[in-house]
Amino acid sequence: MEYVVEMLKIRKEFPGVVANDNITLQLKPGEIHALLGENGAGKSTLMSILFGLYPPDQGTIKVRGQEVKISDPNVANDLGIGMVHQHFKLVHNFTVTENIMLGMEMTKGLVIDHKTAAERIRQLSQRYGLNVDPDAKIEDISVGMQQRVEIMKMLYRDAEVLIFDEPTSVLTPQEIQDLMAIMRNLVKEGKSIILITHKLKEIKAIADRCTVIRRGRLVGTVDVATTSEEELARMMVGREVSFAVEKTDRPPGDVVLKVENLSAYDNRRIMALKDFSLEVRSGEILGLAGVDGNGQTELVEVITGLRKAESGRVLLKGVDITGHSIRERIRMGIAHIPSDRHKHGLILDYTLQENMILKVYDQTPYAEKGLLNREAIAEYTNRLMTEFDVRAGQGASALARSLSGGNQQKAIVGREIDLNPELLLAVQPTRGLDVGAIEYIHRRIVEQRDKGKAVLLVSLELDEILNLADRIAVIYNGELVGLVDAKTTNEHEIGLMMAGGQRGETA
Amino acid sequence: MKKETGQEYTVALIAVGFGLLAGAVLMLVTGNNPLLGFFYLFSGGLMNIARIGNTLATATPLIFTGLSVAFAFKTGLFNIGAAGQMLIGGLCATALGLTLPWPKPLLLPVIVLAAALGGALWGLVPGWLKAKFNVHEVVCTIMMNWIAYWSVYYIVPAYFKGAYLETESRRIPEAASLKVDWLTRIFKGSYINLGFFIAIIAVMVIAYILERTTLGYELKAVGYNRDAAEYAGIQANRNIVLSMMIAGACAGLGGAAFYVGYASNMQIGVLPNQGFDGIAVALLGANSPWGVFMAAIFFGILHSGKGFMNAMTQVPPEIADSIIATIIYFAATSVLIERVRGQMQRRRQAQNKADLPLDSEAGLKENAGGAE
Amino acid sequence: MYKKVIVVLVILVVAALIVLNVGQRTGVLKMGRLKVGMVTDAGTIDDKSFNQGTWEGVLQAGEELGLETKYLKPAGTTEADYMTEIGNLYDAGFKFIVCPGFKFETAIFQAQDKYPDAKFVIIDGNPHAGDFVPVVKENTVSIFFAEHESGFVAGVATALQLKEGELGYIGGMEIPTVQKFNWGFQQGVKYANANLGTKMVIRPENVIYQGSFDNVAAGQQLAAQMYDRGVKAIFAAAGRVGIGVINEAKARVRAGQEAWVVGVDVDQYDEGLYDGKNSIILTSAMKQIKKATFDMIKAETEGKFPGGEILVFDAKNDGIGIPDENPNLRPDVVSKVAEVYAKLKSGEIVVADVQGDLIR
Repeated sequence: MEYVVEMLKIRKEFPGVVANDNITLQLKPGEIHALLGENGAGKSTLMSILFGLYPPDQGTIKVRGQEVKISDPNVANDLGIGMVHQHFKLVHNFTVTENIMLGMEMTKGLVIDHKTAAERIRQLSQRYGLNVDPDAKIEDISVGMQQRVEIMKMLYRDAEVLIFDEPTSVLTPQEIQDLMAIMRNLVKEGKSIILITHKLKEIKAIADRCTVIRRGRLVGTVDVATTSEEELARMMVGREVSFAVEKTDRPPGDVVLKVENLSAYDNRRIMALKDFSLEVRSGEILGLAGVDGNGQTELVEVITGLRKAESGRVLLKGVDITGHSIRERIRMGIAHIPSDRHKHGLILDYTLQENMILKVYDQTPYAEKGLLNREAIAEYTNRLMTEFDVRAGQGASALARSLSGGNQQKAIVGREIDLNPELLLAVQPTRGLDVGAIEYIHRRIVEQRDKGKAVLLVSLELDEILNLADRIAVIYNGELVGLVDAKTTNEHEIGLMMAGGQRGETA
Repeated sequence: MKKETGQEYTVALIAVGFGLLAGAVLMLVTGNNPLLGFFYLFSGGLMNIARIGNTLATATPLIFTGLSVAFAFKTGLFNIGAAGQMLIGGLCATALGLTLPWPKPLLLPVIVLAAALGGALWGLVPGWLKAKFNVHEVVCTIMMNWIAYWSVYYIVPAYFKGAYLETESRRIPEAASLKVDWLTRIFKGSYINLGFFIAIIAVMVIAYILERTTLGYELKAVGYNRDAAEYAGIQANRNIVLSMMIAGACAGLGGAAFYVGYASNMQIGVLPNQGFDGIAVALLGANSPWGVFMAAIFFGILHSGKGFMNAMTQVPPEIADSIIATIIYFAATSVLIERVRGQMQRRRQAQNKADLPLDSEAGLKENAGGAE
Repeated sequence: MYKKVIVVLVILVVAALIVLNVGQRTGVLKMGRLKVGMVTDAGTIDDKSFNQGTWEGVLQAGEELGLETKYLKPAGTTEADYMTEIGNLYDAGFKFIVCPGFKFETAIFQAQDKYPDAKFVIIDGNPHAGDFVPVVKENTVSIFFAEHESGFVAGVATALQLKEGELGYIGGMEIPTVQKFNWGFQQGVKYANANLGTKMVIRPENVIYQGSFDNVAAGQQLAAQMYDRGVKAIFAAAGRVGIGVINEAKARVRAGQEAWVVGVDVDQYDEGLYDGKNSIILTSAMKQIKKATFDMIKAETEGKFPGGEILVFDAKNDGIGIPDENPNLRPDVVSKVAEVYAKLKSGEIVVADVQGDLIR
């Protein structure tokens, strides 16, 4: 048996769109096969077909050499195909065992046999190094552990082929390492894995072979060991991609944002920001590095006015804005690319054009005397869409919800940058985006700096900060650990500071 | 701006179909002929000009309360207080109508305005409590209903009672009534009154506010995503209060249409059903102003045709009530089910990243362009 | 989507056709005969009181005289709601329409002009234009009852039976008929105290109008308070509020305490059964609604409809009183009450229908 799963010449059309066109993917037993493509390339559609969520329009699927028809996920399960979804499907107040048994409860008479199931889970856990506690409740365990429960679910159902859909997007670096170890264990024990991702580093780290698709079409299948990251990127995006951001040296100007001795509570009324002070000058990108949950959110919210400061001041170009309303701050030149584009950045049930005027809807020419000017709004949206490369199926009147993540983010970036702000707060501006979009957004942010504006970049990805920032501030437990020059520091030093260690000799 | 409207109407139509089907089943079970039943039901609502007038008159308060619920809902608020707002609106209208000895052309606008203001006040309180102390508006509006109920209970007998009766106000003088001779004549003695035209104006105004104004933009933004609205500098609290006031004003107008239009005096001890039917109207009308209008007319037909169906068939009145209620609530819940299903579908699609096609569409088009 | 609509419609039509035969067979109308309709007041047809009494009269006429009968339930209690249902009955061929309740006054005022070929009976009210000036046209009869006399007789009976202790009164809304029951009851108790040697007390705090005719829970609560204050029997003239009073009394009697209720409008004895055969209904202050309704319909079939008249049913024409059977009253009480009733009939005793110096 050469291949455990073969998808041959698959074609899938949605009304008006060809999502998969003549795609072939062959999975060898015991390999980790990456499926690489940008957001919207058709990866998930292809996997949904394999998992029985959609029927293919053309093409055949073979499992262990036999041609099969996968009409629904149960058939896929029976064939030993399991999927670890990006968004976990777990019942939060159930235990691990209960969640795993859900849908295939073992019974002793009328009583559900928890004991035997838990025992089996323990065995599987040991064998694959999952380290799952069968009796823990889902709400009490970490995201990484929840993902392992999802994996366990598949193993419990005797899945031979595991599909991982963007598994690392929700994990911390340490958890990513653990996951990779688990995947290696799985393969060693004879399982086969399809890994859906757009992160090249991960592919290089763990995959054996890689199938790349672009805009619904197959680009090719390559051996990962003999292919460089740059080549993979080129296959995925369709052109040369530069990872390093080009940036000219530029002397910073006056202080634009000044934060003085700021303290603030978080939502649980715990002091999350403690006596924090910082300056951002015009013409510079100040990177704020730190592990998630160390006060970054609170700092940004206090600066934008979404959160009340308990003490301290915020000054914009010398003006104390601590007591100003959110709107006043926007008018004074603070733009904000929020970390959660669905929670803060967009109103998903509004159209794209309604979202584009979110901060200027009451200003001429978009509104006059309280009445919206549809034409001006549409025109403005179309200009931003062109300028910031935002693509939507139905153009300006598409619902924001219907846009892909990358286009949603580009829309937000466009909207905020077009405010021509004195200060741009960019929080996780490229979260969950593919290479092409990341590159684009980075360029735009640097452009702001070059125009002499101040940029505060908050990111959990150290690479991004090292690439973009001129100076780097590190936050830990709500306090400023230190400030370093981006040119003279390195990953190691900042990593130490992020863990709370004070700066060493480079001060 | 919405692409979904057409689909929403289809859903509403299907819902109405299900409602009628459920009603038919009930008629069958009770040994009656559904075809005849429906024939008389719709005849009763529509068979002559007077009955059409009565249907519109019955629908009028429902248009207002439906608008009220729908409007609040656009801002993410559930207004169960339309009944109380309607009562207070009616009380203001009745009080002025019985007090001011003005000529009709002068008095009517004042009465209508007072009703709107009264309702707005009754919406303001829960809105303010929600904004200031995060008191849930459902609890609050229900309590406001009873405050309105007992206020009327006290005020009407104390200040506006008739010569003999403790339980209702004096009869509204002709000058203060929304009924006008020419309209009654056109509709051959029906109860239709100016309230219906005020309702049409209200529907247009609300539609205009929601679709065309910055105010509507803000209100909907708060309703769809309060966090994002606040992020954009929109004062969510202010909008919540405003939304409840406008919703209350709509219901207050409904009070005027009912107590000084449809009815001719105000009775104590009754919490108007129209307040609660407004929820079903809004649901069936998909929260859109014109949808509410259509749904209210439909309910109006059912309500005013019910008696005739009753008189012409062997259906007992209690069963007839059940049939009407079944049609209404089946229709309303079908819409709900349809909407929940749609939401679930969307969520599933999101998980499968079904936003892919859109993106690839753009990509493919570009490709095609390049190839040419 | 549209397919679904079509499917729904097809199902509807098919379902309808299946039963079409049945419908046609049973739907044959008795042509030519008088059709008698009734529009109900607030509350249900089985309210054990006003609506039910009227409807039983209509039904009796229907059976004994072979007439088609029907009642309709209006959507609300406004004049427009009543007019709508009267119109529905009229359009369906019901040309004799009975309406119980003063709330129909203005509606009947309009209807008697709008439908000159129909006959109307209004109970407890006079048609008027909103100004309380009675206008009873040739096709209308107004019927009133002497509730004060009914309450009086019940008051005498209650006092005689219980001899000493406290009594209470719970009314629905403060409207004339309900007030007259109250005033009559108080006068009856006073009469018994003065002339028949009883020692019953009615305190002002035990005379209450609940304010509605439908709040069962409130009735129960008020009754509980009164019984706690030592009241032995409560006269409840309050529609479904009275049902609450009866429920409370039943609960107390089951728990071994003493609690009585005096019923209203119709004989409510059966309503007060707490163990299958014993009832907490001491007696009931009745209005012969059923009889009055039946009499009017019968008169119409005999061509003797007293159109244009305002009729009063009182002791003189046996239109009020307590039930014939009173299992909870001692025989001596029954005979004593009969004596008092005779005096009422003869005019020897006169009961006032105004408050005077009575409580509320």
